[in-house]
Amino acid sequence: MFLVSICAGIFGSIVGLGGGIVIIPVLTILFGVDIHFAIGASIVAIIGTSSGAASSYVKDKVTNLRVGMFLELASASGAIIGAAVASYTNSAALEIIFGCILLISLVPMVMKIGEEIPKSPELKGLSKRLGLKGSYTETDGSVIAYNSTRPAEGLAGTMVAGVLSGLLGIGGGAFKVLSMDIAMKLPMKVSTTTSNFMIGVTAAASAGIYFARGDVDPLIVAPVALGILIGAAFGARILLRSRNTTIRKVFAVVLAIAAVEMILTAFGVLP
Amino acid sequence: MNLNDPESMNVVLGNVLRYGVILAGIIIILGTFGLIMSNSTSETGSLLTYNPNSVPHDGIDTSPAGLLNGLVAFSAFSWIELGVIVLIATPVSRVLISVFLFVAEKDKLYVLITAVVLALLLFSILVTPSIPGFHA
Repeated sequence: MFLVSICAGIFGSIVGLGGGIVIIPVLTILFGVDIHFAIGASIVAIIGTSSGAASSYVKDKVTNLRVGMFLELASASGAIIGAAVASYTNSAALEIIFGCILLISLVPMVMKIGEEIPKSPELKGLSKRLGLKGSYTETDGSVIAYNSTRPAEGLAGTMVAGVLSGLLGIGGGAFKVLSMDIAMKLPMKVSTTTSNFMIGVTAAASAGIYFARGDVDPLIVAPVALGILIGAAFGARILLRSRNTTIRKVFAVVLAIAAVEMILTAFGVLP
Repeated sequence: MNLNDPESMNVVLGNVLRYGVILAGIIIILGTFGLIMSNSTSETGSLLTYNPNSVPHDGIDTSPAGLLNGLVAFSAFSWIELGVIVLIATPVSRVLISVFLFVAEKDKLYVLITAVVLALLLFSILVTPSIPGFHA
């Protein structure tokens, strides 16, 4: 459990997802953990991945704090809406719909597969007012400056991510990265690290419910949390040295796995 | 530290996250050690293999009073639980401190944004679990 969590922490921190897509199936299938405790552990794992890796990303200024905090408006309110309507929705239907959306979003991902840095859009309108621009330094010393665009679409995409986390407890990170990458045109590293920065807050928003229900089992969470924290620390080092194109490839693969997992869950193949 | 320097915001928030995570990690490690010391090997074996029948995941008191009693009694479970709470509190404190950092920067727009995020977050953590019909 500990070792699996280390791997989940490494991958999660690089692609900006919480590692829930690794933790949940492994705990339920390999270890026979009940799905409720697996989701409880995954929420803790997401917070661990996020906070553990974000401390490095934020200090190294790869994370765009303003973009992150602006989009948290949508993800946090989305998470509350998701939790409020969850008991009235059919989760299998939702999983199929969102699984398919993730598969479709692979197309623009793959089309941009060789792109190291996107052509920076002009900073105007709401993006300018909100100061949604930034720059970071690559390990070779080159400074990458970028602007962002279409904040409303980014906000809408992140809202979907939030609703999804509140509804299904999974899949928030993927939609956050996609919103920043496809709509807002941020460099891949900035998108995944800013998503990583935000998922901790989204997960913390739903943690209260799981905790109160007793779904956070100390025996499961202890090895998972420790493993995740170690993994996230390693993952953060790897990301900072990686090329944007490499991260995009890894993300595309993880996205495909996440989409298939969601659809399989809907059909009852996975718990 | 000059809070008007935008670079220092990254350092402050980075440190909040780092120390939160380190503190949570230490408490969870101590709790896990306590668990291993206080249990027979057959039970601690479940840390590696996980036996759904032997794990006492029912009957853990998650109320503040129950947690406090467990902490005073040096219950390993309660200490692990405390570590998890510190971990959950880490991103929340990060948002809280961002509000103050934007106040110090006199960035009204972002003071508003982060304050709303904080309010949503506290509402979600503290209020929604007690609203019937809310499910996560």
